[in-house]
Amino acid sequence: MIDITVQNLSKKFDDFTALKELNMTFRAGTVTCLLGPSGCGKTTLMRIIAGLETPSTGDVKFGSESVLNQSTRQRNIGMVFQYPVVYRGINVRQNIELPLLEDKSLSKTERDRRIDEVLDILEMRDAAKKEINELDNGTRQKVACAREVARQPKIILFDEPITNVDINSKLQLKRALKELFTRLKQTIIYVTHDQTEAMTLADQIALMNEGEIAQMASPRELYNKPNDAFAGFFLGNPGMNFFEGLLGAAAGNVIMLPLFSRGLALSGIAPSRDLTMGIRPEFVRLSAAPTANSVKASVTSKAIVTGGQYLVALKVGDIAFKSKTDGATGRAIGHEAWVELPLERIRLFGKDGHSPDAVLKFN
Amino acid sequence: MSILELKNVVKSYGKKTVLRDINLSVQPGDFAVIFGLPVSGKSVLVRLIAGLERPDAGQVILRGADMTQIAPGDRNLGYVPQSFALYPHFSVYDNIAYPLSLIRAPKSDIEQAVQRVAQLLKIEQFLDRKPEQLSGGQKQRVAIARGLVKKTDIFLLDDPLVGLDFKLRERLIDDLKQSQEQLKVTFIYTTSEAIEATQLARTIAVMEGGEIVETGTPEALYDKPMRAETMRNVGFPQSNFLSGELRRNGDGLRIKTALFESDVSYYSAQASMSVDKALLGNAAVGVRPEHIVIGNPTPGSLSFSAKVLLRENLGGEEIVYLDATGQSLTTVLRSADADSTQIDIDQHVTAYVRPSDVVVYVDSVYVGRLAIAE
Repeated sequence: MIDITVQNLSKKFDDFTALKELNMTFRAGTVTCLLGPSGCGKTTLMRIIAGLETPSTGDVKFGSESVLNQSTRQRNIGMVFQYPVVYRGINVRQNIELPLLEDKSLSKTERDRRIDEVLDILEMRDAAKKEINELDNGTRQKVACAREVARQPKIILFDEPITNVDINSKLQLKRALKELFTRLKQTIIYVTHDQTEAMTLADQIALMNEGEIAQMASPRELYNKPNDAFAGFFLGNPGMNFFEGLLGAAAGNVIMLPLFSRGLALSGIAPSRDLTMGIRPEFVRLSAAPTANSVKASVTSKAIVTGGQYLVALKVGDIAFKSKTDGATGRAIGHEAWVELPLERIRLFGKDGHSPDAVLKFN
Repeated sequence: MSILELKNVVKSYGKKTVLRDINLSVQPGDFAVIFGLPVSGKSVLVRLIAGLERPDAGQVILRGADMTQIAPGDRNLGYVPQSFALYPHFSVYDNIAYPLSLIRAPKSDIEQAVQRVAQLLKIEQFLDRKPEQLSGGQKQRVAIARGLVKKTDIFLLDDPLVGLDFKLRERLIDDLKQSQEQLKVTFIYTTSEAIEATQLARTIAVMEGGEIVETGTPEALYDKPMRAETMRNVGFPQSNFLSGELRRNGDGLRIKTALFESDVSYYSAQASMSVDKALLGNAAVGVRPEHIVIGNPTPGSLSFSAKVLLRENLGGEEIVYLDATGQSLTTVLRSADADSTQIDIDQHVTAYVRPSDVVVYVDSVYVGRLAIAE
């Protein structure tokens, strides 16, 4: 298995720049999700890797070899699309076997071994003899995935494979993909706009925004420690609270941050009015009575959200923000509440969007 | 006095009854969400309030006056339809102003009204643009602004955020809530998304199969659902339901499911009567996802073993799907807890529920919660 690398990769369509100087590596044997809103460039990047699109500048390498001059077929790529590509009139097993027959170096024993392996993982042994016409859309997509996986190409590209599957099959298909990915350790690039899908399936997420990689990291790292304000915004429901240009007067390295009643010592970077503070709603601690470093806030609304938690909208002066808290605390909160921000959960973003190595301490 | 009242409203298309005996009363200033899964009848209900449909029987009373036979244009309502079309050759400003131009409102009034809703929906900077120059989310804002531009006290919004990706929805939920508060008007709003309903609503009317099964504040419906449909659908993820067998046990009741067996404590006389009528037998047993805990059972809890099918990572939470001897169950963990719980796909785990979190329904009607074992 080999790494896939893109170097200084750009793509322009007339006066629209879809990709801006990308440099990244898709590690062999891992699942990388290209995640981002529509128009972020994720599909263009995938199409260039597949050889369906040529870049304006830059290179794509499979291992150390540039593949720009190779056709899609020569690149030996597997692809799974939004709609299942399956062959009607033959059964599930034959569908998976079809591309394997093209590879004359594979023995019948090896073909059968690979087919049985994927059928087992997908818990589809019993369906092996079924005609495609007998299957629902979600199961057909499973067959399409199984076929690409069994072929063992250099890399498999998934383009929103779950999006058009009916809601009842989504869970089954997600589980099938997760099982295939973890058991077979193939090199996968998976395009989606759905953060939950990416967080669930990926080893690493390349979060894209406006033709650039905002951050590439494991799901948990990306969520808990976004290095880019966009990652703080895009992941999470709702995304981070941001406090812009609200740094109070600094004396030396001591700064005043919003929602703190006393100064904080900042190290690692110089205090600046251009810093933006970010914190996820579930990390904003709420209580009905004052705590050591809390400030008093007024509650403007509260609502029940995922898993019976409360999403509480608050104000301190003119500063509005949200806290996501468990049901018991949320229910006890009245018209006012005490708010505390754990220092280790605060992210400071500089003007270029990236968080510097800032460390905050109580003075 | 109610600003909207529906009395015994019935509507059929041919032999298909889509609304059966609807009674609903909305107070002035309410953000009333009519919540139901697709084809529960909520869109027909809104069209009926708007006057775009006539009921076969019953009354639509607006501001105290019977408007059942009154034309839509004479009902003085604002309306944001589910599928909207902007006029492509009009500017955003003219699109929003259109309902007012139709009634030949004075130019200065139009200007003022357009600016006000544009500000509420944060599209002031786009007023000169054409719709094609806007993103999907911005177009939706324009459509909502056009529905809100009219100077009136009742607005109907028919699932206006359907189809938007959830980041856009997140922002529009805040803006819609603020719009309603600042305009000091009544919103009647339909949705099939539980999270949208609980975040927006002051009161929710739960619809299922052409009926309003229950109404109340989001908290009341969440904490004490009196109907199984309410418990199942109000909340995200949906509640778990097991089929159970209810029988007499001395003076009390006992429930048996595939996963556990326990006494039921039941409260109301009405509930006990409905159990008598149903002559026991089949019951539906509901548990909210957050009440299924993976780990060592606490004393008095009901425990069972299960296989982990999938962990779905939402960022702040994880949804864990379980198979408990053939029963599909959904649980929710906070991510902080999920990280410390070493649970893998295909792993066998022990899970438990507290009896007081388990709710029993017969014929969809609340019977009681399970009793703590003595």
